[in-house]
Amino acid sequence: LQQALSFIVARFGASVLYLRSNLVLYIGMFVKRLIVGVFLALLPFIAVQWVKQTNWGPLLSVPPARQKGPSSARVVIFEYSDFQCPSCSHAQEPLHHLMDLYQGKVRLAYKYFPLTNVHRNAIPAAHAAECAAAQNKFWPFHDQLFQTQVAWGPLSNPTTSFMAIAQSSQLDIPAFSACYADPSRLGAIQEDIEEGHRREVNATPTFFIGDTRLVGGGPLEGDGARTIERELRK
Amino acid sequence: MKKVSGIDVLLWTVRLAVGGVLVYAGFLKAVAPSAEFAAAIDAYHLIPYHAASFLAVALPWIELLTGTYLIFGFMLRASAIVSSALFGVFLIALGSTLARGMDLASCGCFGAETLRPKQTIGVDIVLFILSIVIATASRKARPGTADYWIETR
Repeated sequence: LQQALSFIVARFGASVLYLRSNLVLYIGMFVKRLIVGVFLALLPFIAVQWVKQTNWGPLLSVPPARQKGPSSARVVIFEYSDFQCPSCSHAQEPLHHLMDLYQGKVRLAYKYFPLTNVHRNAIPAAHAAECAAAQNKFWPFHDQLFQTQVAWGPLSNPTTSFMAIAQSSQLDIPAFSACYADPSRLGAIQEDIEEGHRREVNATPTFFIGDTRLVGGGPLEGDGARTIERELRK
Repeated sequence: MKKVSGIDVLLWTVRLAVGGVLVYAGFLKAVAPSAEFAAAIDAYHLIPYHAASFLAVALPWIELLTGTYLIFGFMLRASAIVSSALFGVFLIALGSTLARGMDLASCGCFGAETLRPKQTIGVDIVLFILSIVIATASRKARPGTADYWIETR
């Protein structure tokens, strides 16, 4: 019996000691891993918070010719768009649908954001649209530019196409031609581009409804109504 | 202390390359408005927009964390498995767009010029294989990794 007892004490005593030392080792290792893991996770987090822009400032006003809807509308949709961008063309349908759905409550304001590095005719198209805006015919010109985008987009010189659109939009052609030849008209486009860059617009179409940014026609279709409702409730 | 071998140096280079790509990609997305990345995910037409919105917020942080852990060699095997899963999923998504005959460039108009889908798939396959190599070679903590430092200190 004595032999058996001393065997159990020796056996269990060693196990307890072994268990204790291992437990201390495991806990120590776990704490070390936790500290290193959190420290390493903090590095990118701090870097992102350092660089990330969270305040884009107020949107600059848009000339009345490039706005659609009543001035008393409680919600304004700002659209950064490129006439040569296929996504911008596809986004017109959900946009028109929203404008119809919230008629009288929503105003649309168009901002130029030609993606010059991928669309070579985007600036000339914006220039032509700005000349149409000077004659208060921005919206019919805008609609036709998108409708005929596939035709004038790949052309090396789209001027003839723009002239044809100007004619069918019933613009004063000599005034339109003089405006289109005047590079000072590009100033308004440049202002919009610079504002877009300040607001971190990198893709078109980008819509701002209140503080909410929606990029592309799909998100506008999916989330546009909900966002407008939220803004109307404010 | 265990001597650093040639394989360790090679593995460190591979870790730096794969981790660097993940950190770079994750950082660019994390600092940009998430709506833009959501639109890019939505262009694949694989998941609903609301899931794309959630993924657009979560994915950059997963990439950043995985990339940082790979570079420092922390939880190396797990990080390499996550990394290979990320590249694997991206490969499937890109492959499906090619199979469906979709041109992603026409789905979203993004200012920056990007690699064509076939080029992207090539780069992605290399990164996927390298991630698997890291996972296979780091069954045990190797010198030059945070895992090794934790185990030996």
